[in-house]
Amino acid sequence: MEELEIIGQIIAGKVAHILIREKTDTKIELGNLLVAESRNGSLILQVHNLFYGSQVSREVLELTAGLELEGRGGSLEFFDESLRNYVLAEARAVALVSGNRVTIPKALPDFFSSVRHVINEDLQFMDVPENTAYLGKVRSGSNVLDVPVRLNAQDLFTHHVLIPATTGRGKSNLVKVLLWSVVNDDNLGVLVLDPHDEYYGGRGKELGLSNHPDAKDKIRYYSLAAPAGTNTLVINLKSIMPWHIEELFNLTDPQSEALYGYYFAHKKDKQWIEAIFKDERPENVAPMTAAVLQRKFKTALGLDVNEQGDLICYNRAFSATSGESTLSEMIAALESGMIVVVDTSRLSDKAELLIGSLVINEILTKYQRYKQETGSSGVSKLEDKPVVSIVIEEAPRVLGADVLSQGGDTTYSTVAREGRKFKIGLVAITQLTSVIPTTVLANLNTKIIFGNEMASERNAIISSAAQDLKEDYATIGSLDKGEAIVSSIFTKFAIPIQVPLFDDYVAEYPSRDTPEDKHDIHLKPNRRVV
Amino acid sequence: MHQFAHMADVHLGANRHGKMAELEIGAFARAMDICITRKVDFIVISGDLFHVGVPSDLNTVRQAVAKMREVTEHGIPIYAIYGSHDYTPTSTSIIDVIDSAGLLTKIVRPQVIDGTLKLECVEDARTGAKLVGISARRMGLEREYYDMLDREELERLDGFKIFAFHSGIDELKPEYLSRMDSIPISLFPKGFDYYAGGHVHQHSEHHLPGYDRIVFPGPLFAGYGRDFEFTAKGERRGFYIVSFDQTVTDVEFVETVLVESVYKEYNLTGFNSSRAQDTLAESFSRLDVDGKIVVLKIRGELSGGKTSDIDFVHLQNLLYARGAVDVHLGRRGLTSADYAAITVAGEDVTVIEERLFKENVGTVHTNITELQGDSGVKLSLELLNVLKEDKNPAENKKEYEARMIEDAFGVLQLKGAFEK
Repeated sequence: MEELEIIGQIIAGKVAHILIREKTDTKIELGNLLVAESRNGSLILQVHNLFYGSQVSREVLELTAGLELEGRGGSLEFFDESLRNYVLAEARAVALVSGNRVTIPKALPDFFSSVRHVINEDLQFMDVPENTAYLGKVRSGSNVLDVPVRLNAQDLFTHHVLIPATTGRGKSNLVKVLLWSVVNDDNLGVLVLDPHDEYYGGRGKELGLSNHPDAKDKIRYYSLAAPAGTNTLVINLKSIMPWHIEELFNLTDPQSEALYGYYFAHKKDKQWIEAIFKDERPENVAPMTAAVLQRKFKTALGLDVNEQGDLICYNRAFSATSGESTLSEMIAALESGMIVVVDTSRLSDKAELLIGSLVINEILTKYQRYKQETGSSGVSKLEDKPVVSIVIEEAPRVLGADVLSQGGDTTYSTVAREGRKFKIGLVAITQLTSVIPTTVLANLNTKIIFGNEMASERNAIISSAAQDLKEDYATIGSLDKGEAIVSSIFTKFAIPIQVPLFDDYVAEYPSRDTPEDKHDIHLKPNRRVV
Repeated sequence: MHQFAHMADVHLGANRHGKMAELEIGAFARAMDICITRKVDFIVISGDLFHVGVPSDLNTVRQAVAKMREVTEHGIPIYAIYGSHDYTPTSTSIIDVIDSAGLLTKIVRPQVIDGTLKLECVEDARTGAKLVGISARRMGLEREYYDMLDREELERLDGFKIFAFHSGIDELKPEYLSRMDSIPISLFPKGFDYYAGGHVHQHSEHHLPGYDRIVFPGPLFAGYGRDFEFTAKGERRGFYIVSFDQTVTDVEFVETVLVESVYKEYNLTGFNSSRAQDTLAESFSRLDVDGKIVVLKIRGELSGGKTSDIDFVHLQNLLYARGAVDVHLGRRGLTSADYAAITVAGEDVTVIEERLFKENVGTVHTNITELQGDSGVKLSLELLNVLKEDKNPAENKKEYEARMIEDAFGVLQLKGAFEK
């Protein structure tokens, strides 16, 4: 191996605060990964602070600067300047690598040992090709290494993911990259509620998941403006139950009772929502209560009655006659390891959350049942089912402390707390981590942290991260677009990453491997079925 | 103002025997008579006029053709597409024969240019209505036609236009058909005045963005056990008469079934087989079944004895003796605590076949992807359907064998592979 350039030397410090003197003419950056070799292996250090050091006293430095600034210094210069003035880096040891074994360091590196920049070979342990969930490449300061960061998709998604980021830091780009990377993972189904219709593409020049070579077989897209070959989003009102509605609104007790009154009066034909609009009021429901319910349905779901007395839905996402199989098809797609993207950009917030709630309730119920049932191999049927994950934007709408304190648990918070038992996970995207209760945050076991300058948000993220990130407070504030830190129970340390631009990532993705006879069995008549 | 009739899923020949065969052709005759009486300008049949592509029961064919001739002699043209049943992958279908005789016009005029499917429209001479259609294939394999379809050209067509198809639509499938192969509506050309559907055996009208009127008439009578069950539960059977000028002005559903049905469910949980037999017999003796089609669903877990201890043939005969036209006895949901009986009775044959293929496709060890999983099931079902075809009275054994081989090779896309 070529001799690697030494860029510094460990000169002092303590655990998490190891002091390194920078070698002249080299550059150590905030977030740099450095390596100190030891008898036990390569110790990886991460820089979290930089400051100046000098052998010259402060008074002398101040005087020297004054002389220069005031024009009295002539040709003043430091004697052996490179020895006397330098940069000090503060770092913490994040991993000890010995062959393929990676452990959390329990001892300080050798005193006075030299350090160098990390190279690709140091981090080969991170490149696990069988892991499908791709997040980006390892970043050392501003230098991107050719080391992919992939996590086991089943672990990652069942244990929930939080993506905290302010606008414009690259969270949508990351979600697109991540989803693209798991398209072919048959052991994972993902429901994506897409309020900005930014993930699928399929219209114009913008790339999206629709450009994946296996999109036709592995991705289902539902939209009110469905491009050819995709599905028009329409859900039958019979799929909606009172408990779904209770989650959406902060209902009074009489309003809740009225919902169930309508529901039980129409349990057989399931047309209880139509009944609310057609004034088929059960005896125990007051006219005022019925009117309030009507108004809530009208504003949230766009429902109304036309002049002929027929129930209509203005946005056409809900229907009394169509869409009976939509939920079943979404569930079947998820159960067969597909990605289901629902474009909710033309719907109200409530309608979007309702659709998510309908699907999650259904899949949760099914998976709970599978867990109880024994399959042919003698183990729980759930073992054979793919993990299902739900990507939800603006997560505080369903996981926020105010929402949970008003109405108790939502379907989403239930998934966050106990979905893991049933192989169901959440990918929660938010700008406001601080409004999500700690009890929920603690369950989101991977956090992909983008740049955030708000102190309260940084504190909330750091206090709930899988690793101790308190030294990264400043770093999180300084992360540029596409730069992130992955803190996960599945990584030995918080990994700085650079998420590739989706278009670049797609351009590098290998095209579909199509054997010449894959679709033409008639070309191989001598093939026998064994 | 003009009118046209829209019907589908007639499944002539599905009911092969006696009174049921009479009722089946009777419903078709009634529909044709109504078309003559109401002086419709033309008739659209959206597939599955016949239950099979090459029917063996030529008496049914004769009666149907006679009725169609009567209609055309009244100046009412019939436009049709193949359904999944009257489509054959290789040989000439009965639809082709009737088309050649000038009694109906196939409105599927495809042309593939540079991998794009272009459909030529047929213009009805009297009304100027433009008709375009895509036929079905078995197991929803027509999806590839839709993938190739030049929608924009069809969307540019002006005037009153009808798109005929024979497929389930993802967004419109009833819940109980959620596992049926279907196509997203986005693959259809937008902006037609009327989408004349077939394949779904339940009449319904739908409106989706860009597709203002999608209509399934369901069968005129019934082809399957589930059809009878639904009819007995109140589903109306018939066809649509559609009034139009520049666009559709009215849609009217016209009923064609003249026989009454009775539906009854029994839960025998806790009964032993002997008591169950007595209970059913006693109940049947009180049912008013004279002149009616009877649909019975028997469920539950017997506390003792085998399900086969119950003499269902005898019970059915009790109902026939009391004047029942036909008895459909579904007992798939009946099990016994003593014996774990495997019963598939009462299901549609196609459902049973599909289920059995799905259960067993995993035992086929092959690296040919088309023979694995869902595509393997589809291929098997299509092959089975081809091999189910009866020998035509007009063909000898050798000709029948040759036809079977040709059709089977057609399904497997192996045509010509074994010629040497």
